[in-house]
Amino acid sequence: MASTDRFDAIVIGTGISGGWAAKELTEKGLRVLMLDRGHMVEHGEGYTYDGRPAFDVPARNIMPDALRESDYFIAKHGYVQPSNQAFYNNDRLNPYDYEEGSKFYWIRPGAVGGKSLIWGRWSFRWSAADFEANKRDGIGGAWPITYDDLVPWYDYVEKYAGVSGSRENLPYLPDSQFQPPMPMNIAEKWMKQRLESEFPGRKMINARLSNMTEDKPEQGRTKCQVRNQCGNGCSFGAYFSTQAVTLPAARATGRLTLRSDAVVTNLEYDPATKKVTGVRFVDTKTGQAETVTAKLVFLNASTLGSVQILMNSRQPDGTRSHFDSSGTLGRYVMDHIFRVGVKGDIPGMEEFIEFGRRPGGVYVPRFRNNGQDGDVGFKRGYGYQGAAYREPSKPVGFGASMKQGMRRYSGWKFQMGAFGECLPYEDNHVALNPDKTDRFGVPLMRFNVTFRENEQRMMIDAREQGEKMLRAAGLKNVESSVREHVPGDAIHEMGGARMGDDPRASVLNKWSQAHDASNLFVTDGAQMASISCVNPSLTFMALTARAVDHAVKGLKAGTV
Amino acid sequence: MDRRQALAGVLALFGAQVFAPLARAAGLAPAGVISEGAPSIQVFTPDQRALMTALSERILPTTDTPGAIAAGVPAYIEKLLADWALPEDRIPILSGLAEIDSRSRQDYKLPAVDTKPEQQDALLTLAMNDALPNGIEFFEAFRQLVITGYYTSEIGITQEREYLPVPGEYNGAFPYAQVNKVYSA
Repeated sequence: MASTDRFDAIVIGTGISGGWAAKELTEKGLRVLMLDRGHMVEHGEGYTYDGRPAFDVPARNIMPDALRESDYFIAKHGYVQPSNQAFYNNDRLNPYDYEEGSKFYWIRPGAVGGKSLIWGRWSFRWSAADFEANKRDGIGGAWPITYDDLVPWYDYVEKYAGVSGSRENLPYLPDSQFQPPMPMNIAEKWMKQRLESEFPGRKMINARLSNMTEDKPEQGRTKCQVRNQCGNGCSFGAYFSTQAVTLPAARATGRLTLRSDAVVTNLEYDPATKKVTGVRFVDTKTGQAETVTAKLVFLNASTLGSVQILMNSRQPDGTRSHFDSSGTLGRYVMDHIFRVGVKGDIPGMEEFIEFGRRPGGVYVPRFRNNGQDGDVGFKRGYGYQGAAYREPSKPVGFGASMKQGMRRYSGWKFQMGAFGECLPYEDNHVALNPDKTDRFGVPLMRFNVTFRENEQRMMIDAREQGEKMLRAAGLKNVESSVREHVPGDAIHEMGGARMGDDPRASVLNKWSQAHDASNLFVTDGAQMASISCVNPSLTFMALTARAVDHAVKGLKAGTV
Repeated sequence: MDRRQALAGVLALFGAQVFAPLARAAGLAPAGVISEGAPSIQVFTPDQRALMTALSERILPTTDTPGAIAAGVPAYIEKLLADWALPEDRIPILSGLAEIDSRSRQDYKLPAVDTKPEQQDALLTLAMNDALPNGIEFFEAFRQLVITGYYTSEIGITQEREYLPVPGEYNGAFPYAQVNKVYSA
């Protein structure tokens, strides 16, 4: 396959953004090669344990401690279990390191579809304020785009992907093109009413999810069956994944070639034309390296996977990346700060229970620094994701009375967890380890990313406010918890190749296009200049569709 | 330097193409494979196994639905301790069984496995109340193993509970009076 132009474009990575890139490029007439480091998982047939009960899954679907500690010691922070482990990276075979004193959970997928098979599916638009925040605060680089630039692209991807949610008309959390929301249960409706009356200006709304509540027969997809099987792959295609949504669309054009088990090591580059001239990858089964060429390259290898490939695409003297003339590559790495939880018991309503297992519950959107409050001691804000539920009782003791006791459900409980915005810091960075390479010859990623005072203060506030809201709403036995805040743990890592207008201070321009290579687009989380406090994937989808539109127009005009 | 670092260093000397054979030569287990089938080692002696089996049934006895033995809980526990748990997790179980047996010989002049169910209940109660050496440590670990093994078994999921793999619709205010059994998926 070496040095041919059988393809017009190469897409590196098959996750949420890579799948969109492949769909859009093929639908616009380009012949596309899509590469993924993981193994193939086909929609439906590749979901080995979808719909299977625990006794029909290895180890009763409880990850064995011995295996977790040997092979999934990072993935364990990302909800790996036997029924979905095939979708996860093996941490033993694919190491990385930290610099002294820092810690980062780099939770990675290991199959075609990337994190689209294992994501949490909460889907929000970013707000106008999110894109203005860096400039307003004078922190990080100003975004070169506004919310308005993305509106048509949000509209476009939402209609196709299928996002459920409630229309709320909140300026700080714009509505999507929604399917009907996943309903709140009776206890959540009670809480919403209490919380919103006790705290004017704060809201509790339906989860916004890339889980459909209406069928899309034209895509062969069925609405959510409320099974709570998402993590095993959904044969109904009820949630957005590459397999269910973008891959079938790209394949339907007849212009897609998908190659799994292909680890991209670096991009080849011609400094004279300032273009990427080839994509080098290693076949993980044979160990053979190949180089493929195309006019256009979309890099969608995940935030830090893409940064690693960019950093390993180095000038002949081996020092600096071809794509780092700004000196900002690998910098301003962020993740949501996470692991503050609040819970309590909801009194009453015990004559009702839920039927069905929803993929998500309720959301308390950001209420800090939306413009109305004074100094709260930190910048930006946080939101909470939560749910009310009843669970099987857990009686103590043993024997027939305990067995009988386990046949009842508890009263209503509520819990929620905060996701907070992390500021972009120049020295939160990743680099290549000069001394250690992985099994494909790629230098290991080395992380130095820490949360700072602003993030810590925000989480203290999230804990206090969470307890306060639950108590004021009338919950009993309110408790909160905080666990170690480790960057990466929220699996919302972003940055490292940020967008900006100034080529001296950013890696990508406002079209997600490399300042140093007109035919290279990076449209995953690496491009983000700030991280909002809401989940990012929907924004990656919109940015990808927008970038493809620009790239293909540029190709036709001869400017890419 | 740990084993992973050592291997990465060795591999760097050779480059990518020799990875697969080198990995095999380095003795790496196949990636991510969960052991299935019979336990790879005998965790229990025949006497320990008989006692563990009897006690599992005391934790979750046969009532109007089958108990732990019918649900295959003893085999689950042995498989888990042999191949899925960390080796140190066997210690509280084995030492707890020994303490219970020793107390049985003292109180009832019989091996625990030969005592009556009520006497086994009394021995488990001693462990639960930490009135045996490391009793609570054994009791909590063993109870958790039995409960997990039972409620993830076919009997636990489909007979003791109501197997509901595809609810199809969500109802957030379903009458509790219409719930016959706890739902399982």
